Amino acid sequence: MKPLKIGVTGVRGVVGETFTPELVVGFAQAFATYLDGGRVLVSRDTRPSGPMVRSAVIAALLAVGCEVLDLGVCPTPSMQLAVPELDAAGGIAITAGHNPSQWNALKFVRGDGLYFNQTQGEELLDIYHQGEFPKATWDSIRTGVESADAVPHHLEVLKRAFDVDAVRARRPRVAVDCCNGACVNLIPRWLEELGCEVLAINDDPTAPFPHNPEPRRETMAQLRAVVKAGRADVGFAHDADGERLGLVTEAGEPLDEELTLVLAAETRLAQRGGGVVVTNVSTSGAVDIVASRHGGRVVRTPVGQAHISEAMVEHGAVIGGEGSGGVSVPEVHPTHDSAAAIGLLLERLARTGERVSEMAAGLPALSVAKHNVKVEPNHIYQLLQNFRAAAERDGLDCDLTDGVKVTLPEGWAHVRASNTESMIRIIAEAGGAADARRLLDWARDRVRP
Amino acid sequence: MRAIPTLKISISGVRGVVGDSLTPQLLVRFAQAFGTYVGSGTIVIGRDTRTSGEMVKQSVISGLLSSGCGVLDVGVCPVPTVQLMVRRSGAHGGIAVTASHNPAEWNALKFVGPDGLFLGAGQAREMLDIYHQGEYTKVAGAEMRAVEEMPGATDIHVRTVLDALGPLPASARRPRVVVDSCNGAGSLVAPRLLEAMGAEVIGVNTTPDGSFPRPAEPLAENLGELCAKVREAGADVGFAQDMDADRLAVVNERGEPVGEDYTLVLASLYALGLERGAVVANLSTTSALAAAAGRFGCQLYESKIGEVNVTDEMRRVGAVIGGEGNGGVIYPRVNFARDSLVGMALVLHLLASTGQTVSQILDSLPPFRMVKEKMPCPSNKIKDVMKAILRDYQDHPLDTRDGVKVTVPGGWFLVRGSNTEPIVRVVAEAESEEKARRIVDAVFAQVRAVVLS
Repeated sequence: MKPLKIGVTGVRGVVGETFTPELVVGFAQAFATYLDGGRVLVSRDTRPSGPMVRSAVIAALLAVGCEVLDLGVCPTPSMQLAVPELDAAGGIAITAGHNPSQWNALKFVRGDGLYFNQTQGEELLDIYHQGEFPKATWDSIRTGVESADAVPHHLEVLKRAFDVDAVRARRPRVAVDCCNGACVNLIPRWLEELGCEVLAINDDPTAPFPHNPEPRRETMAQLRAVVKAGRADVGFAHDADGERLGLVTEAGEPLDEELTLVLAAETRLAQRGGGVVVTNVSTSGAVDIVASRHGGRVVRTPVGQAHISEAMVEHGAVIGGEGSGGVSVPEVHPTHDSAAAIGLLLERLARTGERVSEMAAGLPALSVAKHNVKVEPNHIYQLLQNFRAAAERDGLDCDLTDGVKVTLPEGWAHVRASNTESMIRIIAEAGGAADARRLLDWARDRVRP
Repeated sequence: MRAIPTLKISISGVRGVVGDSLTPQLLVRFAQAFGTYVGSGTIVIGRDTRTSGEMVKQSVISGLLSSGCGVLDVGVCPVPTVQLMVRRSGAHGGIAVTASHNPAEWNALKFVGPDGLFLGAGQAREMLDIYHQGEYTKVAGAEMRAVEEMPGATDIHVRTVLDALGPLPASARRPRVVVDSCNGAGSLVAPRLLEAMGAEVIGVNTTPDGSFPRPAEPLAENLGELCAKVREAGADVGFAQDMDADRLAVVNERGEPVGEDYTLVLASLYALGLERGAVVANLSTTSALAAAAGRFGCQLYESKIGEVNVTDEMRRVGAVIGGEGNGGVIYPRVNFARDSLVGMALVLHLLASTGQTVSQILDSLPPFRMVKEKMPCPSNKIKDVMKAILRDYQDHPLDTRDGVKVTVPGGWFLVRGSNTEPIVRVVAEAESEEKARRIVDAVFAQVRAVVLS
């Protein structure tokens, strides 16, 4: 199966196989065509293919007539904040986020700093497929590329959004794993601004990823050890570009990545005495439980940051995010930002004096079971239909917000197509592990013909 | 007639118009083909000052990295600097981003082999095959190499020229020199070299911003500003470069262009004085060069046109100096490449060592006048033009190694299709300009007849 995924959220593939400079040039030209010129910001994470992709992107943007501002290695949320701040027409983040090192991707950001939505993404794809792009002539083409640093502005916005003085007074001891990714340039500085004592590992942006850049239980062994040995108050694990956050308690216990959002949502709802939480249909029902505890309301969207951002703006949400560990705090910006999630949690830690393990203990205890089925791209739709037909035969209602989600007495099961790889993701949640497992098996049986 | 295409893919490289045929897709693919051809080694990349240079360079870097090459970026610099740096750094090749004398809207890639020479015809064809096959080496991210920036390459070039030829003798009068770099890659290098040699330097068009203050080709008709400055300043000599500083034209002390075919003549007069040996030029070079070589008892060898053909022949015969009638001087003791910096150094040393003016030196040679003209001609008609010439001049001495060279009473002419543009070039030489022009007019009449037929 070819590792390439072209979708409305961007284009993603494996370098050395499908993610070629020609492909990158074509997409960057399409994006520049969509924007109709203007200033474009370019950021990248630390993958070794970053410079190759960067050069292809810059060449294409210049060829169409854009002005390019290169932010270098920079977290995606820093770039997103910089787009409106620097009056740019848009931005391209060169990062495959949580995917392994051999992958890379382009993510497209519009003038307000948010990702393209579904419609805009489809328009971009149409332009790409038509393959007709404006061409700057010798007397209009930009002759060089300027550089800029987006991190200082991001830090300013973060400082305004959180109670920095309270955190400074508490002086938490924080272990952080930047996965040698783009966060190296932001997170340690942010933690220093917050007056933390920082125990940093994997903070060399020139070194390879020490583990997959997906902040999950299985990638947090090193961080757990540092938290324990360093007697830290908390451990923070990052993906490659600063969107997802994983948590380790002061006892060195990793929290399930689903709980990052649940904890953040509870924190913010308690502060605000309610409000709207936006999350996707595949995220833990624990979000609903904490919302009802605090008089809040949950709005569910299809999976993907673009949907979360749009719904947050539409509903005036107090927080948003996804079960993958992405948290969006609107005072910073309605897009996933691990630095903002850190600010929220450290603020709570400082103000309430709770330990992270105590915060986690107060969260609803639900069990999640997940399974991915790799399939040929031409089978995805049929397998989803199989599941839907089987569920309807059983007399169940199907939520079709994104794929098919069914709710049963003991929990729910959700079957959808991955946005980033050619696979079907099955996720089930119930009150106990055995029930979750049973639900997962039940769903898996019905995905098959 | 349909529009003349703006893309020219040939053994000389790939050349096109920015905003039209020279797209990042095309450039990325060519860079990958070259990276594949050289087997993923280290590649030196440099560019001239054209406005599209950054776009082209970034395309090339992307393609090279993708095919597993490391990149040594020497920035804005003359083409001969790229060639010199390939040899100096032990790189596996180089790419020069420049359309040399083409107008501002053009840009191009020129491919340099590990020996610092442009790819020979056979090598270039292999590379073109790889390009057309479209299957390029693609390395995984973990195997990708880095881009290293190397800002000091032009310093190394200046030092190399000085080390080989030395500054002007302290006893000589300090010459006053006007240099016109066409705001190209020579802008920052030529004045530095000339000053280091001990000349008084006046710069014209030495702002390396890619604006074209004059057409880039250092032809007599493009050098009005330089000539005026030479007269106004009472300078001893004027030098004109093209955008990538491989070609050099000389203006005499009266502010008159001596014709770019005489650059190699002047350079050879000094080089052969230092060391006797063979001279190589292409078959379109003035007969004055044979006369200059003869003065030292040295032999002139004629090659096909194209820098690579000249250098091939130079290596074969172990030449002391060589080059082309378009102002390209190749002096292997410094650089196995057309190098205007070397040319300037040789000419200044000639003036200092003889104590004569440029016009005195050239007046001592038998008079020849050359006329060069070009005419638009679709690529598919060029063959017919050649056939017509061969038929009409079958009773004359003919050389068909490169286009058709015909020796006629009192002179010669050469007709050939360009490798870089859809045109036919005619060069004629005779004892007077009038006679040479009459020869050209006769040839053009034949071209016209064929194109319209």
